[in-house]
Amino acid sequence: MEYIYSVLILIGINIIMASSFNLIIGYGGLISIAHPIFFALAGYCSAIVSMKFGVPIPLAIVLGTLFSTVLSVALSLPSLRVSGDYLLIASIGFQLGFVEVIKNIEAAGAASGLTGIPALYSGPLRSPAFVVTILAVAALVVWLVHRMTHGDYGRAIQAMRDDEECFTSLGRNATAIKVAIFAVGSGVAGLAGALYAHYSQFLSPEQFGIIQSGLILTMVVVGGMGTTWGPVVGALLLTALPQAITFVNLPTAIMAPLQGMIYTGLVLLFLFVRPQGLMAKKVRQ
Amino acid sequence: MTLSLANVSARYGKLTALADVSLEVPAGARVAVFGHNGAGKTTLLKCAVGALPDMQGEVRFGGERVEPGAVYRNTRHGIGFVPQGHNVFKSLDVERNLTIAGLLHDAGYVSEVYSLFPILKDRRAQLAGSLSGGQQQMLALGMALMTQPKMLLLDEPMSGLAPVIVENVFESLVKINRSTGTAIVIVEQNVKATLPSVERAVILKAGRLVWDGSSDELAKKEDLWAWF
Repeated sequence: MEYIYSVLILIGINIIMASSFNLIIGYGGLISIAHPIFFALAGYCSAIVSMKFGVPIPLAIVLGTLFSTVLSVALSLPSLRVSGDYLLIASIGFQLGFVEVIKNIEAAGAASGLTGIPALYSGPLRSPAFVVTILAVAALVVWLVHRMTHGDYGRAIQAMRDDEECFTSLGRNATAIKVAIFAVGSGVAGLAGALYAHYSQFLSPEQFGIIQSGLILTMVVVGGMGTTWGPVVGALLLTALPQAITFVNLPTAIMAPLQGMIYTGLVLLFLFVRPQGLMAKKVRQ
Repeated sequence: MTLSLANVSARYGKLTALADVSLEVPAGARVAVFGHNGAGKTTLLKCAVGALPDMQGEVRFGGERVEPGAVYRNTRHGIGFVPQGHNVFKSLDVERNLTIAGLLHDAGYVSEVYSLFPILKDRRAQLAGSLSGGQQQMLALGMALMTQPKMLLLDEPMSGLAPVIVENVFESLVKINRSTGTAIVIVEQNVKATLPSVERAVILKAGRLVWDGSSDELAKKEDLWAWF
């Protein structure tokens, strides 16, 4: 049963990550690879303030989320004032740099990782409580992204992505909308990271590498970019698939590269055969 | 509201696009800006709306300073800007284009735009990208009108349109000017088609203002092309 709980928690975390990344890349058209870093920033922040300063865990989770949000604004504001391309370049630097910084900070456990993070829940109902919490947050995030991207604000986001010059000429501040989208998406990733830290009770810089960025992007591409349910389907599929493979008795030396090949193969397959993803939007003529 | 450009200059790297241009456009005027490719026409409009952060000189609209690098803020003060090529949201339908344009103003103004361009009402559920060039241009004008501007700056709105459509769009512009009092500054290449619809014309040559006078006077000039 514990295995089922852990898979459900992983699915919930991945739905949060894929939905928030979809807000940034799918709806906002902003290309960044630093999404897992905001997950990590909040995770480390929440873990450290609760461990070193005795901050209650729920408050630590809020602080971690805010920390990620503030840093995402610091990263995106100077980049997006110039051009969207700079965000990609800045995010690559941020992603690679942050992992190296963590590896050298003793208080964050350095390269060997941070252990002994207090758990949000304890006792015999710890795992089901986590499942309920994570899935509830995932549902809330899907709803939040849907609300943000539909209605007046959603249409403004779509218009901004469609033609930024036209959008600006109508008196709308495109930079403010892009920074807001990036901040909300990164803050939500931070919330997932903080929850994960107090579930797994262990964080290591290796968990937030460029591979993780690729995995989340695969979930969004396979599910369908710019759709509400695409990232949910993508997260479900790409979390369940590697778990299913583990039931096939293959040597460990083959298993890891096989998973990587499956992700890469899926992205290539979808880009060629169904670039709109599984949950494609209806195209009106 | 008067648009005033005082000693405005702009450069792209080492190239001078606009050199010490001063120009006043009073409320309700219809002014055409002519010149060859690279004469500085688009740069002039960009400076007027604050789209060039590094320009020199001063631009004022209705006495307020037009802030370089803050197009969205300047357009809120009543300058409607229709840039060339980037003027409709192609993946949205006609009505959504108009309502997005009016979000900061009065979205109910759509009916006024429809009465000015009835074809847009007929096509209101159609994607803007699938409209003909002339209809897209009408939509772009309609979107600019949704911001209820005091002055419309149009960058080559007739580019790529058939002559009959050009005539329709010019008629619409004059109608807008007369019915709402919105001043119009239009950058155009097609001098002969534009002159009957404006009262005043200015000519730019290599970034300098070389002629400023009434459109009738320019139309009568035997050596019209010598000015370009």
